[in-house]
Amino acid sequence: MNEARLPLSGNLATTPSRRSSPASLTLGLLMLAGLLALILLAQRLPPALWMQAAWQPAADDMPQLVFHFSLLPRLLMALLCGAILALAGTLMQQVLRNPLASPTTLGVASGAQLGLLVATLWAPWLLDLGREWVALVGGALATALVFALAWRRGLAPLTLILAGLVVTLYLSALNTSLMLIQQQDMNAVFIWGSGSLSQNSWQGLQFLLPRLAVVLLLLAPLLRPLALLELDDNGARSLGVPLRSLRLITLALAVYLAAAVVSTVGVIGFIGLAAPALVRLLGARRFNQRLLWSPLLGAGLLSCTDLGIQLLAGPLAELLPTGAATALLGAPLLLWLLPRLNLPAGQPAARSQVLAPRRDRPLPLLLALFAAFLVATGLALAIGQGVDGWDWRVSDAQLFDWRWPRVMAAAAAGCMLALAGCLIQRLTGNPMASPEVLGISAGAAMGLIALLFLLPVSTLALQLGLGGLGAGLTLLLIVAISHRSGFAPERVLLIGISITALFDALQVILLAGGDPRGQNLLSWMSGSTYFVGPGQALGVGFCSIVLLLAALPLCRWLELLPLGDGSSRSLGVPLVRSRMLLLGLAALLTAGATLVIGPLSFIGLLAPHLARLLGLVRARSQLLGAALLGALVMVLADWLGRNLLFPAQLPAGLLASLVGGAYFMLCLRRH
Amino acid sequence: MRALLGVILSCCLGLAQAAAPTRIAVIDWGLTETLLGLGVAPLAVAQTSGYRRWVVEPALPDTTVDLGLRVEPNLELLARLKPELILITPQFEASRAQLERIAPVKSLAIYSEEQEAYLGAQRVTRELGQLLQREGQAETLIARVDQALLHVATRLATRPQAPVFVMTFLDARHVRLFGRSSIYQGVLDRVGLRNAWQGHTNYWGFTQQGIDRLAAEPEARLLYLEPLPPGVERNLAASALWQQLPAVRDGRLTPLPPVWSFNGLLAAERFAMLLDQHLGGVHE
Repeated sequence: MNEARLPLSGNLATTPSRRSSPASLTLGLLMLAGLLALILLAQRLPPALWMQAAWQPAADDMPQLVFHFSLLPRLLMALLCGAILALAGTLMQQVLRNPLASPTTLGVASGAQLGLLVATLWAPWLLDLGREWVALVGGALATALVFALAWRRGLAPLTLILAGLVVTLYLSALNTSLMLIQQQDMNAVFIWGSGSLSQNSWQGLQFLLPRLAVVLLLLAPLLRPLALLELDDNGARSLGVPLRSLRLITLALAVYLAAAVVSTVGVIGFIGLAAPALVRLLGARRFNQRLLWSPLLGAGLLSCTDLGIQLLAGPLAELLPTGAATALLGAPLLLWLLPRLNLPAGQPAARSQVLAPRRDRPLPLLLALFAAFLVATGLALAIGQGVDGWDWRVSDAQLFDWRWPRVMAAAAAGCMLALAGCLIQRLTGNPMASPEVLGISAGAAMGLIALLFLLPVSTLALQLGLGGLGAGLTLLLIVAISHRSGFAPERVLLIGISITALFDALQVILLAGGDPRGQNLLSWMSGSTYFVGPGQALGVGFCSIVLLLAALPLCRWLELLPLGDGSSRSLGVPLVRSRMLLLGLAALLTAGATLVIGPLSFIGLLAPHLARLLGLVRARSQLLGAALLGALVMVLADWLGRNLLFPAQLPAGLLASLVGGAYFMLCLRRH
Repeated sequence: MRALLGVILSCCLGLAQAAAPTRIAVIDWGLTETLLGLGVAPLAVAQTSGYRRWVVEPALPDTTVDLGLRVEPNLELLARLKPELILITPQFEASRAQLERIAPVKSLAIYSEEQEAYLGAQRVTRELGQLLQREGQAETLIARVDQALLHVATRLATRPQAPVFVMTFLDARHVRLFGRSSIYQGVLDRVGLRNAWQGHTNYWGFTQQGIDRLAAEPEARLLYLEPLPPGVERNLAASALWQQLPAVRDGRLTPLPPVWSFNGLLAAERFAMLLDQHLGGVHE
């Protein structure tokens, strides 16, 4: 992780043209929201009755009651939640100095969601005490875990955001597996998880407003020191800012804000990321400016989205959860903005400590990994369960026929994801990067979902075709948007994240719609080798080896590119061409793996890190080590998935992220 | 001579019957229900625990083997059970290639774009009857359910009936409303009740809506299927809008015991019986 870069907050700031400022967009959005609100309210109730309905609705007049108990609180709720989430995001981005930080990055949302899920399944009486509190406890616990993981590094921004990401992925995997097994009980959580703003009373506002007031009071004395965080760590410290406690307190307040919103209306993720980022991109350079404009922009974004949904109304109104829709609309907005902004090119920045000592002779370790991989493969093929319980069968040809395609596909997918992860992490110089973040997995997944929901029948050939098409289109989109900037790492990452957000939104909408076909989607999404036949297994096995061989000659680029644009160019690396090639290779690797085991590519994040933790630091040994580790973890995960809850088959990708994620968190904490 | 012919004929029929598949694995609960309705006990069913919890009736024999999740029935286990026939719905078509390596696969669709679910359920019952050479039982079942619905219709017709919303609660703010192409619509049509939800529904015959939509038909009765998700009862009690709904205010609120909303004829019959029980004695 030594080449990992922590962008200073100024890094994403632009040199905007003088005309652009957050004011025009923000005020424009708020005015649009007002206009939409007037249209919506006029549709539902004649304006003459508004005053009466707002204060004293007639008890027998349903439109007035709806106006009073549903429309008005929903409108105010959208404004309030948008503002609070944007405020939380602004605080987090300031504290972490990471323009990609948001309430969801710290695990609040998935922690809260898991809390609710667990309570629903095993302790429903807790929900009777109030869903809010259950969600709050879950969110707080997840955040505490993130903090605990990053504590020994003095809550260094990079470690914290990495821990947050890992915890988020881990909890999402747990969420998914619970939903997979207990789908029938989970519909309410799906709705909540997708962020529904619909209201039946003023309770939600009565819950949120006093909490916001308290947080604002506590925040007031922190504003001046927070503004000093614009400087780098040493600068701020020299001005007498107690960094650790300032960060901790501010983060705690921001997390509390986010958890309060999440517990009331569900997961509305994109606002907390988009509003502060947009305000910054639109030229708000100083913290105080961002603190003013972000919440206003957040309120405008969320209320416009929510009102738009209500106006579209009809059958779509409840099928399109607002939280998912913000992402659906916010992602294209970000994609549109990125090429129009003058983001600085990559440069070496503050580096965090090296995680593990570098190993000078990697060969013995690589051989040991290879041996471990072979042993695991053998065991995965021979040991299993049948009608009468556990058995060990080496010579049962029929069983072997069922098992080998799954084992081979798992190994190949793990290997390809690990390679893709290595490439992307080195290419972007960002340890948070993975195939999932690049959005290629999401692209492939979108193709498959389109097939699942648009055509009544799905065959494997169609799945492969449309999935590949989706991955290819995503790659083209990334290339088209980012080629003007010479593939600046931050930009590619942002594009990838936007595409992933788009996909997440789509998926959440489909699941929240309650369509029983959603479960097929869920199972594929979680990374299952179930549908792999012999032909496909051989195909991906071949692919993985060819692509591994193709990646090895590019190791010099992989060593040099993380040094930054200037150094790389002076060492003779053709920047655009090398990035194009590496991106293309990473996309191919990701698409190949996604088609087999779904877009849940935790391995792509995990395996390169594991290799590094074992001391495989140079590009070539990291690639080889990560490939072996990815394959090994995936084979074990596939075997566990087939046997853990026998006869139920759990997806390998899910198990991989559960097992691998736990180990990764341990490592993160130990170092 | 004629007697002899009769003996030979019945022997042949007997032989033919023996040739009908008896070891049957089923991936879908609606088909499981129909199979049990024809008097055939399935060899293996996916997610038996879920069936016992959500479908309940007709009861699944204890000997039925659990195949695991419906989206991914356990192939190794299924192969070792050596079934003669595997029944799926189009929803599980993705598993077909794998399943066909084990036994012949037959896909039957109760729910389809062309046909209302009740007719679909009748068609599937006939197809299954033919497949298992139990045409007689299939016709009996169809006739029995038709008859039951007719009976309920005459009983309900003795007094004026308000239109009904058929729904399940998702949380205190959202319900699934069942409408066109749901199995309930078929029952409502045949027992002479008007569905208060005439709007759009999905492939499976329901739509997800906020509870304020229930005010659109102030005269309607609310039929909701139990069980309620945890916490919903308490939250409804605190919901001003819910308390003000005409149906809630006037006590036109009828809870019904669990029925699996995506099943076939037996679910329809059960739903009709529940309607009879709960609305037959209601005085408007």
